[in-house]
Amino acid sequence: MTFQGYYISVEVLFSLLIIFSILIVCTCAFWIISKTNRSELIDELIIRTNSWWKMALGIGILITAPAIVGTIMLSYVSFVALREMLSIGRFRQADRSALFAAYFAIPVQYYLAYHNYYHQFLYFIPLIMFIGLPVMLVISGNTTLIGRSMSTIPAMLMLTVYMISHMALLFHVAVPGFSGGGGALIIFLIILTALNDVFQFTWGKLLGKRKILPNVSPNKTWEGFVGGVLTTGALGGLLNFLTPLELHESFIVGLAVGIMGFLGDSIISAVKRDLKIKDTDDLIPGHGGAMDRLDSIVITTPMFYHLSSYFISN
Amino acid sequence: MRNIFVRFFYAFLVKPWLTYIVGVSFKNTEVFKGLDQFIIVANHNSHFDTVSIMAGLPAKKRQHTCAVAARDYFGKTSVSGWLMKLFFNAVLINRNRKEGEPSSIEILDGKLKEGKSIIIFPEGSRGSPGAISNFKKGVAILLKKNPTVPFIPVYLDGFGRVLPKDSLLIIPLICKVRFGAPLFSSNENIELTLEEVKEAILKLKQKDERDRNQFELT
Repeated sequence: MTFQGYYISVEVLFSLLIIFSILIVCTCAFWIISKTNRSELIDELIIRTNSWWKMALGIGILITAPAIVGTIMLSYVSFVALREMLSIGRFRQADRSALFAAYFAIPVQYYLAYHNYYHQFLYFIPLIMFIGLPVMLVISGNTTLIGRSMSTIPAMLMLTVYMISHMALLFHVAVPGFSGGGGALIIFLIILTALNDVFQFTWGKLLGKRKILPNVSPNKTWEGFVGGVLTTGALGGLLNFLTPLELHESFIVGLAVGIMGFLGDSIISAVKRDLKIKDTDDLIPGHGGAMDRLDSIVITTPMFYHLSSYFISN
Repeated sequence: MRNIFVRFFYAFLVKPWLTYIVGVSFKNTEVFKGLDQFIIVANHNSHFDTVSIMAGLPAKKRQHTCAVAARDYFGKTSVSGWLMKLFFNAVLINRNRKEGEPSSIEILDGKLKEGKSIIIFPEGSRGSPGAISNFKKGVAILLKKNPTVPFIPVYLDGFGRVLPKDSLLIIPLICKVRFGAPLFSSNENIELTLEEVKEAILKLKQKDERDRNQFELT
């Protein structure tokens, strides 16, 4: 399907069809259950599903719209995530100018991603912002706890802007013989990451015994982790048609998404535990803040980009 | 004409900017349902406080709500006074009034008698960031003079970091306008009423919430 220079591939349409049919089935099922016996659990599930509808619509626009629209959408996601992280962090009055400056990394980073200036894209935040922000803190002159601010602001910038901006690079993937385009790769990554959370949760509930990180996330178990990673790997193989990869390669990508998704979730959990908060915000009803939903995808995105480009180029 | 302009200004400029860029969210805005007149009482940390409360009000109530502002600060030039009146229906109060002028209480009482609602920050000025300083008595006197008008406690969370006192730099950070249910004061005593108002505001601050109106180690 072509329209003024860009096209929506069959793969993308097919995956959207699956996502929306799952949502319709869930919505109907929860609606029928809530009519017969109302409980807190079902109310919570309905709120969550309603939020998923909005997120799915956003994802639908992201993968079907032209690259410029998708890039702007992703930059706003980065902005909301960064705002949330900076809001929960512990900062000093003297950090204000550096906090303000951190937001300006977003348009620059996504400009570089949109024009595919790959080299500059890779070093802008890890080098320029990593030096620039501490310099601003030094100029402000207050040295009490300056080390904490020097490390947390660039770290939050890396997590919310640098990591997510790799998704905007996927719009530029062009592999001979692969008709899916960037949209298909993005939906592959999002489906794997989102369902990996579900798989790990479900396996943990079913078989969970041995705690994996008792001091960080008491609910996470070895059984949930291993079961989730293997199931996500299998799903990666199943959704192979969305990628230009070989079957075994997309299975490996699925396994890696499982492991990395777990790590991202744990990192944000540990930060929240340190700050003694349950959720990062209440932006998405039933889910918590934006960072509560993005916690695994911030880590899986750059991994997916680099691993699949390694497989494609070899 | 003026009302339509101000309404559009809030709906298409102020509110989207506050919600999507700055990060303000409005909680429990349904408390205004069926309410004609009220006195909004809030903690005060930032110049953002008034505009955020105004943006959180339903458009029809906003027209009839006046913010209270100091004449010596906001009425310095005729332009700023005019802008304050246009967007906030501001009642400019003389903090160091000369003899013979009506007192602030009398002016505000007049507004209430006209059927207008008002926004008051009983701390007076924005104070040191984060801290809730002593409340001034005016609010309690007004409540006593107008026993049919309820007060709505509002807790403003996070505004002291977005735009603190001695700064012009607006940093986007999450902040919340939390409206409370309308209340009538049950006390005769002015001091006790004041205590009641203060308690109602502090109650809206959530239990496990860190004080986000200030940065650490300021």
